Amino acid sequence: MRGTLKTMRIRLAAPSPIALLALVAGTGAAAAQAPKPVTLLNVSYDPTRELYEDFNQQFAAYWKGKTGQEVTIRQSHGGSGKQARSVIDGLQADVVTLALAYDIDQIAEKGGLLPADWQKRLPDNSSPYTSTIVLLVRKGNPKHIRDWGDLAKPGVSVVTPNPKTSGGARWNYLAAWAWALRQPGGNDSTAKQFVARLYKNVPVLDAGARGSTTTFVERGIGDVLIAWENEALLAIKELGPGKFEVVAPSVSILAEPPVAVVDKVAGKHGTKQVAQAYLQYLYTDAGQEIAAKHFYRPRLASVAAKYEAQFPKLTLITVDEVFGGWKKAQATHFADGALFDQIYQPGR
Amino acid sequence: MSAVRRWVSGIILTGGSVAIAPQIVAQQEGATPDSVQRSLESRVDELDQQVRILQRLRELAADSAAAAAKDKVTATASPKDGFSIKSADGKYAVRLKGLLQTDGRFFLSDSAFPVTNTFFVRRARPILEATVGKYLEFRVQPDFGQGTTVLFDAYSDVKVAPAFAVRAGKFKPPVDLERLQSAGDIVFAERALATNLAPNRDIGLQLSGDISTGLFTWQAGVFNGVPDLGNGDGDISDAKDFAGRIFLQPFKTGTLAGLGFGAGGSTGLERGTTAVPALASYRTPGQQTWFRYASSTTTPTTNVFADGRRQRLAPQAYFYTGPLGLHGEYIESWQAVSRAGAASVKLKHTAWQATGSFFLTGEKNSWKSAAPKKPFDPKAGTFGALELAARYSELSIDDATFPIFASPTTNPRRAKAYAIGLNWYLARAIKVVVDYEHTSFTGGTAAGDREPENFVVTRVQHSF
Repeated sequence: MRGTLKTMRIRLAAPSPIALLALVAGTGAAAAQAPKPVTLLNVSYDPTRELYEDFNQQFAAYWKGKTGQEVTIRQSHGGSGKQARSVIDGLQADVVTLALAYDIDQIAEKGGLLPADWQKRLPDNSSPYTSTIVLLVRKGNPKHIRDWGDLAKPGVSVVTPNPKTSGGARWNYLAAWAWALRQPGGNDSTAKQFVARLYKNVPVLDAGARGSTTTFVERGIGDVLIAWENEALLAIKELGPGKFEVVAPSVSILAEPPVAVVDKVAGKHGTKQVAQAYLQYLYTDAGQEIAAKHFYRPRLASVAAKYEAQFPKLTLITVDEVFGGWKKAQATHFADGALFDQIYQPGR
Repeated sequence: MSAVRRWVSGIILTGGSVAIAPQIVAQQEGATPDSVQRSLESRVDELDQQVRILQRLRELAADSAAAAAKDKVTATASPKDGFSIKSADGKYAVRLKGLLQTDGRFFLSDSAFPVTNTFFVRRARPILEATVGKYLEFRVQPDFGQGTTVLFDAYSDVKVAPAFAVRAGKFKPPVDLERLQSAGDIVFAERALATNLAPNRDIGLQLSGDISTGLFTWQAGVFNGVPDLGNGDGDISDAKDFAGRIFLQPFKTGTLAGLGFGAGGSTGLERGTTAVPALASYRTPGQQTWFRYASSTTTPTTNVFADGRRQRLAPQAYFYTGPLGLHGEYIESWQAVSRAGAASVKLKHTAWQATGSFFLTGEKNSWKSAAPKKPFDPKAGTFGALELAARYSELSIDDATFPIFASPTTNPRRAKAYAIGLNWYLARAIKVVVDYEHTSFTGGTAAGDREPENFVVTRVQHSF
């Protein structure tokens, strides 16, 4: 662009045939180099709407400044498991930003749309931000909920989404299970009994985390919402601290929502370069700031220190150390006929 | 939220304060009014939660049902689309359709050219159509009528957009109007004399488009090339025919909304031989051959054969308004022919037809078969739809044809036909037809004109 303007000045000052030729060549070259506008589809999980609305705008401006190319990013949100199935079934996602690695593994395994080692391609296991699971209660905490154990007490109504369709719900379930294991005499059997009692207190299973937040916050159902930390903090920010309170349980789980380029789709669309840049931008100072502003825990130490005060201090366990990784956790707890199906029987 | 709460509170606190409170007081002797109030509020809260939960569960159940419906493969049966199985997204479908026509043919006053009166199956066509993916469709239509098996349609369409589609296979070349109307939708049992000059089916590749939902449609294709009335499954020469058609329906609304007009045509080279002449014979509406080029089984070397340019041009139009339908066309067909001992001559035959029909029962007339307003149902006292029809058509053979390329003592120079008919639509799928058509000839015998054909046809048609 600057080059073109310079050429115009030369032409006005010295309208010689050579300058005219230079103008034609310069303009032609500039036209040939002007990159075509491009569109990305980011298929994400439920509570990331606000994060990516903000992030997309900033990335588009960054990319335009860097390359001159217009980029439009479309978003799709839903339960993480459901979103993964949609991508496997043909939803044309250039990138996926889902709630858990298992869902992207499924896209690699069943859809063959990206390599199996996709998680090694970006830092921190391709999770540019983390979160955890907390409890959101109504102002004044009328049911006196302090920790996971309170959720299984009679008379407490718990709102959480369906682990069959929601990634967040699987984190919720595993966090509760992990807490039960850490109780005196805790083992898989006592954990199963505890989680079964907890789910007896769940009157409604929404398909995704955002649906559960709506059920709890807007429809006034339940005494406690098991929620993503970012979702709980956002609810308080949006609706005011006068209505809800966050309860930090004694132990929770380190949730690492991963991101990946869907190679085959991006390759077909010719968007691989911009898709990679899009995800890499999440790791920059600017990307990490946006994540923190939307209550996701940043990976970058400098940004994490800046926003330290907004996150409650929790003991966090990981899926790998307690459940042997997502693949094993999925097979043991969430596959058809596995522990969740044994525990949760609708209508009972 | 607060409305639900108020609603429940209202019922409980007003009615309940009369009915329940005394019981609670009785159960909790010594309870203070405050504790009774708290107990009532607690019950209200519980009921409020139950109502909200039930509402949410009902919504989730409805969402699940809607999601399940989206993924559901549907099987349908209808007189319009036949029997079909379709994927939830509509991208994959199989449709089974059919056409069965059982005729009674009666020839009156046929002493000079006697024809046997007979019942027979004119068309028996199972039709298989499929949609494969977003753009690809195909259709296969054999015909087992009259005791023979003939493949009529076998083609695939790639429908990139309404304005651009590609068709490959065997199908109707885009030339004349009445031929392009489906055999189940034509007004009379048999097509008019003019259709003799157009191809029936041919194999080729066609591009087509529909701009602005019928405002302007176009087809252009390359085909093996067949003689007039021909139904070809191969070619006898390297040369190919090019065929094309444009059709406009310029008025979307108003009285002229049913007006359509356009023109079709074809051009190509045809080099026949005395053994395979590649020339047409022409038929009466009663399907009797009334004109054929000179040929002999005893001296086949004298047979006439196609020998050069073949062209057709067919301006055409239709108009439908309310119960009235009109359509007509004019066709010219040129064919260069040769015969041993004679110079090659380019002959031009011409034909035209005009057809009108009117629904006595008020149904809307259209290019497609009508659906009766009140299908036949004796118990309900409904009769179906009645359509009255009339037609005139002519076909003239080029004078230069005689006597070298066809004998004037056995082949008339011209045929003229008028017809009247009555169609009874019992339902969209079932039609009963009674037609009378009188065809007169100019020339055709040593003594003068060939005896006219007086043809009565009855038809029971089932199409779905």
